[in-house]
Amino acid sequence: MKQYNPRYARHYSLKDFGMEGQQKLAQAKILVVGAGGLGCPVLQYLVASGIGQIGIVDDDIVSVSNLQRQVLYSTEDIGRDKVTVAKDKLHQLNPEIKINSFKVRIDTSNALVLFSDYDVIVDCTDNFASRYLINDACFLLKKPLIFGAIHQYEGQVAVFNVADANGNSTNYRNLFPIPPNPLEVSDCNEAGVLGVLPGIIGLFQATEVIKLLTGIGEVIVNKLMTFSILNYQSFIVEILINDSVTALIPKDEMSFQATDYHWFCGMGTYGIQEIDAAVFFEKIKIPNTAVIDVREVGELPKVDFETIQIPLSNFAENLPQIYSDTIILFCQSGKRSLKAAQILFEKWGHSKKISHLKSGIITLQEIKNE
Amino acid sequence: MVIKVIAFGSIAEITGKDFSANASDLDTLKSNLIDQFPILAERKFAIAVNQKLVNENYIFTENDTVALMPPYSGG
Repeated sequence: MKQYNPRYARHYSLKDFGMEGQQKLAQAKILVVGAGGLGCPVLQYLVASGIGQIGIVDDDIVSVSNLQRQVLYSTEDIGRDKVTVAKDKLHQLNPEIKINSFKVRIDTSNALVLFSDYDVIVDCTDNFASRYLINDACFLLKKPLIFGAIHQYEGQVAVFNVADANGNSTNYRNLFPIPPNPLEVSDCNEAGVLGVLPGIIGLFQATEVIKLLTGIGEVIVNKLMTFSILNYQSFIVEILINDSVTALIPKDEMSFQATDYHWFCGMGTYGIQEIDAAVFFEKIKIPNTAVIDVREVGELPKVDFETIQIPLSNFAENLPQIYSDTIILFCQSGKRSLKAAQILFEKWGHSKKISHLKSGIITLQEIKNE
Repeated sequence: MVIKVIAFGSIAEITGKDFSANASDLDTLKSNLIDQFPILAERKFAIAVNQKLVNENYIFTENDTVALMPPYSGG
């Protein structure tokens, strides 16, 4: 038994938790994928609680629109790597914890290696490609996965790959065997989210981690909880095992690595280059590049560089307006520009260089504000 | 058979949050809803009856509660 550490005094005195519970936390290694709205509270509370080792995976930088809900970051952190800022702040919170930061986007080449070093994986990502990838990797490695996701005023929480009393475990595919088309869903950028929501849902995830490690209470195994912050109603449904969906998961490491999750999630970007704001500003300077705004006429904000406006609603009819062989498309959030890029790719294939601004004009604004 | 339907997230934006429906079984309910809201045919969502996920047709009894739950991606 480790010696008494006053930092955890309130855990020691807690009935059914005590020194023994604290010791279990101290021995655990937890990987948090995504250091955004959900990731921030998960990280803060797990680090505060005395988890032995924490890994953070994120490739993003702090932007001003994150600050409304991503409470690890301050105004002065805008433009810095999230993992670097998070590691610094978490170290100040609890220097007794070992924190490993990975500035990478989770993908099929790094997921299995990263995950195998940790006991529990916490999914705090913000897109379906990452969520299915993480689910499948955890299934292959038989790692407990603490799932959380949000939409406007509601969140979902579930614990996967943990066996119930009958030895049965489920995964995300039992709930949603195949991902929705990107055009039928909206993300936080587009749909909006009340800043407190990821705080609440993230803390449900952190709570499930602690319950799972220490054995207190009932972990919500094989169940999905939906929680609304508008009326505090929670709705819990039982997830049933469905062997036919398990067959959808890559059967081994090799087939996992060969799976294109972006394509699988309908984000079929084959032949289409996705660019971020920094690359966008570089590329539009190149002569003979057509920069096409596919938003509808009158949509704000206006831009201060030269563009051709061809709204997506009558895009196909107006293709003859495009003479250039290098085409950059953009819209508000990156969805319509992807759709337009797919239309162009179907028509011209590799004969023209087609790229689109991945997260839309919102990201251009953020770069300018920095 | 009168049943209660609860919709979540983006599905609720199409159908409304909760409402009563008349159907003998789940397949009939689904096709009635798609007739009424054609866009539902393109949406993916999980369905639970009395808070248990169902993957096949289900014969309703009076006062069953059906939940329509789309996946959320935000984080």
